[in-house]
Amino acid sequence: MQSINVYIVKRLGQFFLVVFIGINIVFFVTHATPIDPVEHSIMAAAMFGSTSPEAINMLREALADLYGLKGSLWDQYWTFWKRIAVADFGPSVSSFPTPVSTLIGRAIPWTVGLLLTAVIISWVVGNILGGLAGYYRENRLLKAAGVVAMGLHPIPYYIIAFVLLIIFGYLWPVLPLGGGYQRNMTPGWNLPFIGSVITHGFLPALSLVLVGFGAWFMGMRALVSNIVTEDYVVYAELAGVDRNRILGSYVMRNALVPQITGLGMSLGAIFNGAIITEQVFGYPGVGTLLVSAVHAGDYSLVIGITTISIIGVAGAVLVIDLLYPLLDPRVKIG
Amino acid sequence: MSPPLLEVSNASKIYAMGGLLSRRRFAAVADVSFTLEEDRHEIFTIIGESGSGKTTLARMILNIVPATEGTIRFRGVDLATIRKRADRLAFMRQVQPIFQNPFEAFNPLKRVDRYLYMTALHFTDARTADEVRAKADRALRQVGLSLAEVKGRFPHELSGGQLQRVAVARSLISSPALIIADEPVSMVDASIRMSIVNLFKALRDTLKVSIIYITHDLATAYYISDRIIIMKKGEVVESGNAREVLAHPTHPYSILLKNSVLSPDPSRRDELLAPQFSSTEKDIAALR
Repeated sequence: MQSINVYIVKRLGQFFLVVFIGINIVFFVTHATPIDPVEHSIMAAAMFGSTSPEAINMLREALADLYGLKGSLWDQYWTFWKRIAVADFGPSVSSFPTPVSTLIGRAIPWTVGLLLTAVIISWVVGNILGGLAGYYRENRLLKAAGVVAMGLHPIPYYIIAFVLLIIFGYLWPVLPLGGGYQRNMTPGWNLPFIGSVITHGFLPALSLVLVGFGAWFMGMRALVSNIVTEDYVVYAELAGVDRNRILGSYVMRNALVPQITGLGMSLGAIFNGAIITEQVFGYPGVGTLLVSAVHAGDYSLVIGITTISIIGVAGAVLVIDLLYPLLDPRVKIG
Repeated sequence: MSPPLLEVSNASKIYAMGGLLSRRRFAAVADVSFTLEEDRHEIFTIIGESGSGKTTLARMILNIVPATEGTIRFRGVDLATIRKRADRLAFMRQVQPIFQNPFEAFNPLKRVDRYLYMTALHFTDARTADEVRAKADRALRQVGLSLAEVKGRFPHELSGGQLQRVAVARSLISSPALIIADEPVSMVDASIRMSIVNLFKALRDTLKVSIIYITHDLATAYYISDRIIIMKKGEVVESGNAREVLAHPTHPYSILLKNSVLSPDPSRRDELLAPQFSSTEKDIAALR
C-alpha cells in the first residue's frame, strides 16, 4: 500500500508541475503581445462620444484593475494566480462585460457533448473492427472495412466535413447546416429540444467519427497482427483455450493497453474544442469561441480557454497514469 | 501390434516465395522420417542450427503447421484429419509443448497460475476450484516448485528458470504421452540449464513420458538424449543412437558441428562430452 501512495503522490506532483509551467507560459506569452485590452476597451468606449481626459483616466484605472493589469509585472503575476485559483479570468474584452468564465461555461457543454460522443464512438468501433480485422485476416467484410478506413484516413478533415455538409445539407437536405439547435427554441430538457440537438450534432459528430475511426482501426489492426504471432497466443491455443477467448482475453486485452493511452489523450484534448469542425458547422462550442477570441484580440478569453485546456490535457494524463497499474501489472509502482 | 506413438513419414513443409513470375520453392522441412515407439520412453533430440527447420518440424508435430507433403501420425491418427475441436483437444491433451522463451510464452498481463488452472480445466476431469488447484500443485511439485510460490504472480515477477519450470509443470498437468520441448534451455541461465535438463530425464524415467528435445546445444543433447537426428537446411543429415552419432559423426556438417564446440571446462569435459567430442588439443592448450 505504501508504494501505491508514493506513486499517486508522484503523479499528482507531476500534474501540478505541468499545469504550473503551462499557465506560466500562457501568462508570459499573453503579456508579451502588443495588444492592450485596456486601451482596446477605451477606444471602443471613446467611439460613443467625447469624454473628458479625467474620465478616461479613471476608466483606464478601473479597467486595468478589472483585467488584472495594475502595478508591476510581479503584481500582475500575483493577481493572475489569485484569480485563476477561483477560476476568475476577468471580463471578456469582446463581449464586455460578460465574464470569461460564463462564456466558457456556456460553450463547454456543447464541445464536450459533441467530442465525447464522437471520440468514444470512433474509439469503440475502430478498436473492435480493427481488432477483428487483425485476428481474422481472411474475412472479406473486415478487409473491406480496412479499405474504407485506409481510404478515409488520409483525406484532410475539412474536405470530409464539407462533403458531408454538401451531401446532407444541400443535395439531400435532411439535416441542418449549422448551429447547435434550432434558432427559435429555448434550451431545456424537453424532447423536441434534445431531438434538435441530436440532428444538429449528427453531421459534425459523423465527420469526426469517420476520421477518428480510420486512425483507431489501423492502429488496432497493426497491434493485433503483431500480437497474434506472439508465442503466448500459440501457447494458449495449445493449452486448449478456444478462439473467442484468445481473441478477447489474450489478443484484444493486450492490444488495448496502448490504445487506452491514446483514448485518454484524445479525451484530454476535448477542451481545446474541435476548431475546424465547429467553424465548418457553426457549432457554438469552445473552438468557435477561441477563434473569435483570437480575431477580436480578446486577451482574457484566450487565457481562460488555454488554461482550461492545459488542465484538461494534464488531467487526462494523470488519470491514465493512475489507471495504468490496473491495466498493465508490469508498470512499476513507486 | 499397436501403432507407434509418433510416426513421421516423409514429412515436408514447403513454402512458396516470390511473386507471380519468379516463384521459388523453399523447403523448411524436407522429407523427414522417424518413429517413436509407444513403450520405449525416450528423449529424442533434434539438433540443428538456426533456420535448419527444427522449430517448423516441432510445430508440424504439434499440428499448428500442416505438412505440405508426407504424413505425421500420432497413435495411428493422421494429424491432417484432426478438424473437430473435440478431436483437437483430445490430441492436445496427449501432446504438450514447452517453448523456448518462457517470457514470451506466458501472457505478460495474466497471472501465471491461471495457465495451470486453465490446462487442468480443459484437459483433466478436475471441475471444482479445489480439484484444479490440487492438480496444479501436484504438477508444480513434480518440477520442484509449489503452488504457494507461484500463486498470483505475473510472469515478470518470476525468474526465467522458475517460469520455464512452470511451463514444464503446465505441460505435465494433462499427463501427456509426448512433450515437445523447443529449445527449452537456451533462454535460461547456464546454472539452471542442467536442473531443467535433469528434470527431463526424471520425467522420462518416472512419468514415462517421451520427450522430443529440440536444441542447438550439443552438450546437453549428448547428456540426455537416447536418439538424435541432426538437421541442416530442412533435411536430416544424420540420425541414430545419440552417443554413437555424436562420437563418430559421418556427415561433414555433423563433424563441423562437433569440432566447433569448445568444452566449457577441459578438466570436467568427460562428464558432459565424449572424449572424442571435445575440442582439439590445440584449443585446450590455448585455454590453459
